[in-house]
Amino acid sequence: MKTIKKKHLFAQLLFSTFGALLFSQTLIGCGNTAPSSRSALTAEQFSRSRWDAVIEQANGGEINFAMWSGDEARNRYYQNTVAAKVKQQYGVTLRFLPTNDVADIVNKLLNEKGAGKTSGGTIDLVWINGENFRTAKQGGVLWGPFAEALPNIKHFAEDARQRDFGTLVEGYEAPYQRAQFVIAYDTARAPDPPRSIEKLREWIKTHPGRFTYLAPPDFTGSAFIRHILLFYLKRDSTGGAFDGKFDEQRYQRAAAATVAYLNEIKPHLWRKGETYPTSPKEADRLFANSEIDFTMSYGPSFASEHIARGEYPPTTRTFVFGEGTIGNYSYLAVPFNASNPAGALVVINHLMSPPHSLDQGRALGSLFPLLPDGLTTEERAAVVALPLGPATLPAAELAKHQLSEPDAQYLERLEKDWREKVLKQ
Amino acid sequence: MKNPTPTKVLEALAIIAITGLTATPLALLAARSLAQSWYWPSLTPQVWSVRAWKYVFSPTADVLPALATSLSVAMVVTLFAVIVALPAARVLAWEEFRAKRAVIFALLLPVLTPPLAATMGVHALFLRYGLTDTLIGVALSHLTLTVPYATLMLTGSFSRLDPDYEAQARTLGAKTIDVWRSVTFPAIAPGLAVAASFAFLISWSQYLTTLLIGGARIVTLPLTLVAFQWGRR
Repeated sequence: MKTIKKKHLFAQLLFSTFGALLFSQTLIGCGNTAPSSRSALTAEQFSRSRWDAVIEQANGGEINFAMWSGDEARNRYYQNTVAAKVKQQYGVTLRFLPTNDVADIVNKLLNEKGAGKTSGGTIDLVWINGENFRTAKQGGVLWGPFAEALPNIKHFAEDARQRDFGTLVEGYEAPYQRAQFVIAYDTARAPDPPRSIEKLREWIKTHPGRFTYLAPPDFTGSAFIRHILLFYLKRDSTGGAFDGKFDEQRYQRAAAATVAYLNEIKPHLWRKGETYPTSPKEADRLFANSEIDFTMSYGPSFASEHIARGEYPPTTRTFVFGEGTIGNYSYLAVPFNASNPAGALVVINHLMSPPHSLDQGRALGSLFPLLPDGLTTEERAAVVALPLGPATLPAAELAKHQLSEPDAQYLERLEKDWREKVLKQ
Repeated sequence: MKNPTPTKVLEALAIIAITGLTATPLALLAARSLAQSWYWPSLTPQVWSVRAWKYVFSPTADVLPALATSLSVAMVVTLFAVIVALPAARVLAWEEFRAKRAVIFALLLPVLTPPLAATMGVHALFLRYGLTDTLIGVALSHLTLTVPYATLMLTGSFSRLDPDYEAQARTLGAKTIDVWRSVTFPAIAPGLAVAASFAFLISWSQYLTTLLIGGARIVTLPLTLVAFQWGRR
């Protein structure tokens, strides 16, 4: 009796242990029968295709766009206006996959490549940049090259087409938006903000506790310390003018000066530099609550958007350093196993077009990213007439103060040095 | 009897304190959701607005479909977690066998492994079986995290119940189903409720697993929220 009962119980245990497995085994069939491989356009075929043929092939398809989705106004504009436009103009249905960190998407693609899932992927289009682009390109999870064959690539400057944070683009991603670093301040609190790296140091020392920056490796925080590095890199003329390429000797000298600068201001920062905000949201709150007097972003119109939403005081404005601030581009790429590359290319080309760039400028206050040379007279007039938010600097003012991103190696080394020589001091 | 005893007073104070601690953050959250601008030094929002709520219910936000997906995934996961955990817990509580510790360790492995590593492994495996980017795949991946907890909790319930009660009922002529209904189930019901709530909550709050296995195609509530929590780029 006892042994029978025991066997019975063991059977139950076996059932439990392998229950989930059995459950999944029955589903394998379902998974395999799912249709996934409609013959997708290859990069090689694309290089021999006429653009008209690509548009034709895209018609009637569906595109899954992994786009950072943390901004209401942007989500609404893309999901309504842009999706409708693309549908009407090319017959392409645009679906959005909510994304916070593109690194997650890149990991997913790398895993899929490892498992040999080379077609029928769930993502056709991804908004990507800098480090994530480098990882994806090195991992071979991008479809291409394609960018140089898009009709609208002619509207973009050479530097945007060649390098993204020092990584060679080589046609594996296409630029579509431009950004430039700006600093927001409240005219009611700081009517005369420090408009240079040197003046900022003095200002921080005379206004203890009123300044801080986001802790690297946050995108914005990392950009802030890079401005100081760039300032010293340019000032140091040993061995000729600085050309943006990585040079160990130059880095050592400039990094030492940067670390000294950051440690000098540290005791005068918010909370005496013992802690730093770690997300833009946190920095925004500190600024809005008057705990600090400055906050920064890569989006030149970010302060205007915050005023419009009532999150920043209406007296907020932005400025750039006299030495200039770093500008860069946002890019679009196609995953190697995209189900509908033709549709993705058509959408990318649309997002690079003058009509779309103008429309996005009007709808979201985005910086106009295209070169003036390829535009019609009406388009040029429309660019001049683009509305500026109350806190947004005119495009010409930004362009006059634009610096290029130095090589990505500078970024990595400086983030490491910051952690070891500034944060832990 | 007129004056409340000191214990009664302490009890009342404790209840008020605990209620306050639980309710205050929630009340602040509710106020925040209705505030358009609210900055120092004002104690109350300067401008009230239903903008945030309008966005939540707009088709753009995709919150309502995500809520439905979250609910259905969590309910399926809870059901299967309990189905798998019940027999396992029964054996672990009532039986002694040589590899018991090893079985418990194996059972806990999915939650002991760093989440990213475990999820990447599950993703690679599911890719082979074509389970990625499906609702079933997402539910299965949540099961790997919920079954360990559910089993451990139910093991506790079973070990407090003497197996002889079941034997007694059988001696008195009860069928298996009756033994379950009138002896085992009532005894483990509280533990079952806790295990089920745990399974539900774990599934409900998954972000990385859902993103990787669901390929951002299966959109649950955490997926729509995370981007907002971080703020602008």
